[in-house]
Amino acid sequence: MTEWIADRFQTLGEGNADGPDSTNGPNMKAFESTRKALLSRPKFSIRLQIYISFVFSFTVILGFAIAQLAAMQMMKKKVVILDAANNALYEIQHALSFQNDFFLYGAGLDEALASLRRARSLLQNAVDSSRDIGDILGDLLAREKGYESMLKNRDSLEKQPYSAEKEAAIEKLDAEIRTEGKGTAIFGRELILREKKALQRMIGLSQNIHAYSLFSLLLIILFFTFLLTRRILARINRFVKYTQRIALGNYTLIIPARSYRDEFSDLAVAINRMIMELKLRQDILVQSHKLKAIGALTAGVAHELNNPLNNIMLTAHMFKEDYPNLSDEERQEMMEDVIHESERAKKIVSNLLDFARESHTVMAPLDIGGVIRETLDLAANQINLKGAHIDLRIESHLPVVNGDKQQLIQVFLNVIFNALDVTPKGGRIVVDVGPTKTAKFLTVKVTDFGPGIPDHVIPSIFDPFFTTKSKQGGTGLGLSVSQGIVAKHGGEISAYSEPNAGTTFTVALPAASPHGV
Amino acid sequence: MSKPMTILLLDDEPIVGKRLQPALAKEGYEVEVFQNSIEALTRIEEKEFDIVVTDIYMDEVDGIQILEKVHEKYPKTKVIVITGYAMMEMAREAMEKGAFDFIAKPFKPDDLRDAILKAVSSLRSESALQ
Repeated sequence: MTEWIADRFQTLGEGNADGPDSTNGPNMKAFESTRKALLSRPKFSIRLQIYISFVFSFTVILGFAIAQLAAMQMMKKKVVILDAANNALYEIQHALSFQNDFFLYGAGLDEALASLRRARSLLQNAVDSSRDIGDILGDLLAREKGYESMLKNRDSLEKQPYSAEKEAAIEKLDAEIRTEGKGTAIFGRELILREKKALQRMIGLSQNIHAYSLFSLLLIILFFTFLLTRRILARINRFVKYTQRIALGNYTLIIPARSYRDEFSDLAVAINRMIMELKLRQDILVQSHKLKAIGALTAGVAHELNNPLNNIMLTAHMFKEDYPNLSDEERQEMMEDVIHESERAKKIVSNLLDFARESHTVMAPLDIGGVIRETLDLAANQINLKGAHIDLRIESHLPVVNGDKQQLIQVFLNVIFNALDVTPKGGRIVVDVGPTKTAKFLTVKVTDFGPGIPDHVIPSIFDPFFTTKSKQGGTGLGLSVSQGIVAKHGGEISAYSEPNAGTTFTVALPAASPHGV
Repeated sequence: MSKPMTILLLDDEPIVGKRLQPALAKEGYEVEVFQNSIEALTRIEEKEFDIVVTDIYMDEVDGIQILEKVHEKYPKTKVIVITGYAMMEMAREAMEKGAFDFIAKPFKPDDLRDAILKAVSSLRSESALQ
């Protein structure tokens, strides 16, 4: 039984220390593959195990019950024996009493014979009822018959005419009668004592059977409960770990961990299906969150675009208006301005389009310093509108990070916009990019000097739908989605804050290779 | 003929001043052009302009602040603000705080000339009443 329970065939996936899946995540082919792997093993369901334990328990208890019934049957016979022997002995005792009266007073022999007839009848009935009983009571019956025979002989001698031979015979017979009567009674008493002891042993045995039965039942219950509990709890614990890693953004599919399947295999298939759905919705959520960022950027971009457009408009109009009076040099300068401002407009638009385009996850080695600069370019107008100043510090020789540039820009925009929200006009935001001391992670720290986040709030800020800006129509999904993106990259976002001093958000991303840039 | 109207033009985009200064000058206006709002504020402290044209969105000191300072010091001065279509609420705020008019980027030179003409007419009407 233990062999079936053992968690054999632990797969590489279970012990994989590489962290989350760094590809696009599971796909339908992988899902079908794991589904077949999970369901194609021989079935040993928990229900089957319960049936087996029930049948086994029932069999054992049935055995004890049969033993108990057998013991009861034996005790029943002992009781019959004792009842008959006891009653017979009672009659024999009476017979002895009458016999003594006869010897003393010459009367009572008929009563003695009557008692003995009753004793014989009792014993004969018992002996006839069962061979087993006959084996035990047969001897007593024989002795009783012998004793009774002697009394009958004595009675017949009493009726014969007086003679010397008669007297001698009577004297001899009386002596034999006394001996046999006493012997029969003693024999009966000893038989009763013997059978009582046997009965008591049987009662003890029966009690033991009860005790053994209960104890065995307890052992069986404990054993099967332990096996079943361990099996179920082991599965549940593993599924808890699965849910924890899913919550961290690791969408690795569940693959077989044992050589057989059970109800939890069906659960694993269902969870794998859920993982597929979750990943799809996470992708949709990331994209919709990006669209929200684009919405914020677009308003700024529209304003930002007005400047080059206005410059082109003014220049074109004045070119047209003043053309006859302009020198060639002036005309040249104006056209140069138009070209320059057009290129400026183009850059603004293509930056936004580059960020806005829908794309699947494309993991590539990234220069995070460059990604940060690109993010700040995108957010430039928001920063200017806010009147904030960005203090950008990028260390040299940054490690390379494997990541999806668009998604990471989305994360950095989220963090920077949040910092802008709490930064007063003319305020400062520090963006610090550098490796950790071990160089295994690269961190991007965004520090504002706003009011800070209360301690009791910090644990909630990455929860979906959490926001302190509900009056402004926010969805509260920003940091939750960003955390999902960063987790998918094998990293983490953390926050540290001091009231009235400011907040630092740290985005840590695993370094692909140190000192790559 | 009365003295020429004085105009201060403030926009952090250099081309705006470069193009509009000659356009307004040939209409007979006396024009001073600024790109930095702090420098513009310093100049406003020194001289009363008839008309101030200012962009709203600028670093450090924005158009609203310019408007408030001008009104505080020279109540008669007409302030025309320049804004973007996407930021109409800022234009509304400027009007509530006493701006004479606003124009939205991108605009044609004639749009600004028309706004200035209206301001000049208004100024002359007010002068005639005194």
